[in-house]
Amino acid sequence: MSANPEQPDDQVTITIDGAEYQASKGATIIEVADANGVDIPRFCYHPKLTAPANCRMCLVDIEMNGKAAPKPMPACITAIGDGMVVRTESERAVSAQRNVMEFLLINHPLDCPICDQGGECELQDLALGYGRGISRFTERKRVVDDEDLGPLVETEMTRCIHCTRCVRFLDEIAGTSELGALHRGEHTEIGTFVGRGIHSELSGNVIDLCPVGALTNKPYRYTARAWEMLSHPTVGPHDAIGSNISLHQVRGTVKRVVPRNNEAVNETWIADRDRYSYQGIYAEDRLQEPIARDGDKWQAMDWQEALESVAGRLKEVAAQDPSQIAAWVSPSATLEEQYLLNRLMRGLGSDNVDVRLRQADTRDGDSPSPGLGMPIAATEDVDAALLVGSHTRHDQPLLNHRLRKAGLNGAHIMALDTRRHDWNYELSEELVAHPDQLARELALIAAAMAAYVGRGVVEGLHAYTGGAEPGDNHKRVAQRLVDAGSALVMSGDAVELHQGGADLRALTALIAELAGAHHGQLGTGANAFGGWIAGAVPYRGADGSPARGMSVAETIADPRRCYVVVNLEPEHDCFDGAAARRALEAAETVVVFSPYVTEAMREYADVILPIGAFGETAGTFVNAEGRWQTFAGVGRPIGEARPAWRVFRVLGNLLSLDRFEYNAPDEIHAELQGLWERQGNPSNGGWQGRPAEPWLGHGSLVRAGNTAIYGTDPLVRRGEALQRTPHAGAARPTLSPATAQQLGVNDGDWISLDQGGPSVRLQASVDDALADSTVWLPAGLEGTAGLGPVHGPINIQRT
Amino acid sequence: MQALREFFNSFLLVELLKGMKLTGRHLFSGRFTIEYPEEKAPQSPRFRGLHALRRYPNGEERCIACKLCEAVCPALAITIESEEREDGTRRTTRYDIDLFKCIYCGFCEESCPVDSIVETRIYEYHFENRGEQIINKEQLLAIGDLYEPQLARDRAMDAPYR
Amino acid sequence: MTSQRLAYTYLSDHQREAIDSWRARFPDHDQGRQSAVIQALHIAQEGNGGWLSQQMLDAVADYLELTPVRVYEVATFYSMFHLHPVGRHKVNICQNISCMLCGSDELVRHIEQHLGIGLGETTADGRITLVPEDECLAACTGAPMMLVDEHYYTDLTPEKATAILDSLE
Repeated sequence: MSANPEQPDDQVTITIDGAEYQASKGATIIEVADANGVDIPRFCYHPKLTAPANCRMCLVDIEMNGKAAPKPMPACITAIGDGMVVRTESERAVSAQRNVMEFLLINHPLDCPICDQGGECELQDLALGYGRGISRFTERKRVVDDEDLGPLVETEMTRCIHCTRCVRFLDEIAGTSELGALHRGEHTEIGTFVGRGIHSELSGNVIDLCPVGALTNKPYRYTARAWEMLSHPTVGPHDAIGSNISLHQVRGTVKRVVPRNNEAVNETWIADRDRYSYQGIYAEDRLQEPIARDGDKWQAMDWQEALESVAGRLKEVAAQDPSQIAAWVSPSATLEEQYLLNRLMRGLGSDNVDVRLRQADTRDGDSPSPGLGMPIAATEDVDAALLVGSHTRHDQPLLNHRLRKAGLNGAHIMALDTRRHDWNYELSEELVAHPDQLARELALIAAAMAAYVGRGVVEGLHAYTGGAEPGDNHKRVAQRLVDAGSALVMSGDAVELHQGGADLRALTALIAELAGAHHGQLGTGANAFGGWIAGAVPYRGADGSPARGMSVAETIADPRRCYVVVNLEPEHDCFDGAAARRALEAAETVVVFSPYVTEAMREYADVILPIGAFGETAGTFVNAEGRWQTFAGVGRPIGEARPAWRVFRVLGNLLSLDRFEYNAPDEIHAELQGLWERQGNPSNGGWQGRPAEPWLGHGSLVRAGNTAIYGTDPLVRRGEALQRTPHAGAARPTLSPATAQQLGVNDGDWISLDQGGPSVRLQASVDDALADSTVWLPAGLEGTAGLGPVHGPINIQRT
Repeated sequence: MQALREFFNSFLLVELLKGMKLTGRHLFSGRFTIEYPEEKAPQSPRFRGLHALRRYPNGEERCIACKLCEAVCPALAITIESEEREDGTRRTTRYDIDLFKCIYCGFCEESCPVDSIVETRIYEYHFENRGEQIINKEQLLAIGDLYEPQLARDRAMDAPYR
Repeated sequence: MTSQRLAYTYLSDHQREAIDSWRARFPDHDQGRQSAVIQALHIAQEGNGGWLSQQMLDAVADYLELTPVRVYEVATFYSMFHLHPVGRHKVNICQNISCMLCGSDELVRHIEQHLGIGLGETTADGRITLVPEDECLAACTGAPMMLVDEHYYTDLTPEKATAILDSLE
């Protein structure tokens, strides 16, 4: 019955406001209108959420087969039909919309001048077009009590128009279902009912979704207006997704962060970590000017003097033995910073430069390059995935969002870690093993898989399985991965921190290879892949040439005389904070480049140079899928702070190194891009690169953990609002019930823990999600700074 | 006919006489000039002079930091910074007006939803040092406190026409 | 497995069986189980002295494997679910338009005076709770009327109503 005989079967033709459009069957009117730039007013509809059609603002006039619909219909749920005629501006449609608007405005307060949404409010905008100048409603407006939803989202529920976008977001995207529409009719309220607040790691998105000022940004509250801020496109600095964000600034001060649409990366969402960490830019411990140790005192100095002193110290050590210099650089530093630091170090004659602060095991040396091994957007179409040592929900929140979509569509998402995690969807299989047993579990999966695909016995696997036979769960995991059309096998942060990480990485690579799956390896940091590209790793230069330097782990184990530390706090950011700090304290010379100055730095450093924090520096991040995303500096650096690439450039000149005449980050970027493109896409690591001898395990009570979601880098640790959420704060060492009983520890007891160094006192909790003989204690939380390796033996004493 | 009329008009100096008549009339009418500063010209209640920030009768400042005046100001003379005060209300932490930039258009006053920023009848003021032309929140509130009775009277007088 | 315990702590075997019979009538997915919430809440309310505590709501959510807020939504939506302790008998005097025209206001005033409590309150002896104003109870032919527990009493006069209330245990 197609109107047009040439038209494909799945296409229909509809007329909107006199113009004909082709669209696929099953689309709704509002989708077709949006795709073709026809404006239909709406509040509850959002393209990423289901349409409940409860605001009624999108009512339009419809005519089908020459017969007009008896009433205007909501465009957001009315599916199109062939030959349908839609009028969005007919008298009846507009009058319906005006009437809906009048009802919406009945209870909406007239407090736009103090409302943070003022100027970017959908209700305000549409009221201009569809509202009456004067209200006919003379009765009392209703008032709704505000609920405290936590430190991130501010509520002003009297303004709520019950579009339920927030409710649907938490249901459908965040998967936490924390908000509901309570009560009925005029008494309807959006809330949690129990006052628990919203704790989703994506909770900030409800602020963007709210069409009115009912849910607003709490830290940003009342500090600026939508129209006075300048928006600068940039990239999220905390995870390997590289979420596209905009920094909004007024007179050089960043006021807030909002997401930018990029379907291939973050769709329209961002994690709270990217949204609220900007508060760290204005932390009280920002370093204002270069300082150097002068006996027991610290002396402020100007840049010229400071850089000359740094150059002199580096030259002195390099003249004696360049391999005595080691550089540790943050995996969240920009590509340009990592590349220039790499060139500085190689120029001095040292290959000891590394971004892998949290990689405890570097026996596999040239380990697989970090990255996802597949496009981020494609992860939502996988049929199976195995996440090894990755609480993806916290490590890479938006990757978890994609995997969750896949999982809800029936994909088998499976995990292996030392504990069960708090996932926001149901996993098909969640294997839990003692940290010492992780390699064995992986080997059993690999063995089951080799049998299933008919590869027989894989050489070297026996060393890990110890001759054990795969169990049913291993077989299920193996079969699902092999049977999947598209699969992902990925290792996460906990694998990086693992003392036998090289074995785990090799086994993960083997499983991916056997299953024909994509292979990913994601640690922390926004630019870990970039660090590898920039050659800020000890075993390869930026041009791909092999090198033989020492990794962070090696320079901690075998301390050097001189350290260069860029934008990190070793006590939190290294896999073994205590040992890293000991190495720095024992060194003759420690040069720190950091936006912040801490008490610890004053103890181990000799010179501290203030560099620009995130937002103040231009640069490039390379995300997990290898996407180069360049951004400009936004805020004015605080005090005398300067972007790090500029500092390295001047330092290069002072050290008389060749080719250090860069005027802008683009020049560095272009040079590096040239080097990278010439290499093609080097592959490495894998099962062939496995360590000669399997790591045997600690065999005792072992600390296990990952990096806490709001503890990944110095910036987010200073995000004041984020630190007040339940995901941050004091660490709670967690034990399995059996282990707790064995040690005589009850839930809530204060225990003292030590890893061979000073002990810390923390409150224990007991959870059956854990493997036995394991203490779960992530890094980056309050109270963990003095402890040793995140994965290593630990002692517990009741106090 | 037209040409003839023009010829006689110019010939008889009619236009000159018309001009003389106007001059003659003003020669004998009362004078306009006033002896400023001893004497002052009358002012409309809508006079737009120096700015002030007003308070409510209970002493609470009216300004809620909506920043509409800042947005509407065609000369970009107003600079506002705001935050949440301890009691949860929206307040300015900085309210500066650069009187050199200001063109006294009165848009700020028009845009204010709470009648906070107003223009007083003061037009006699001067500065002696660089930078003094930027007046801050305290100064603006002080002016408002000083002239509140008149400001309130002027607003009441103008109210029927708004 | 703290979650499982909730349903087993607060719901009796008998109640869980009754909920199961309702649950079996709907498809076994989130939305299907959501259809059983109203009946499950009725069952839970009956066994809990006529009202639903926070724990009860959580127990029902737990038993039906739903997020608690889905149950809160239903429990707050319907006026037949009571979220605070109530008396042994729930008395609901209809005050919608037909009853109002036939003198329900007078009736309410009289009953309030007689019992010494206002709408929404419970008598000191825990005998009667006056349910606050509600929707039309659909017995307009017998206006004014009231609902005592599950029984309709129509064509009321103040005297008739107090006699009925006094006869309640």
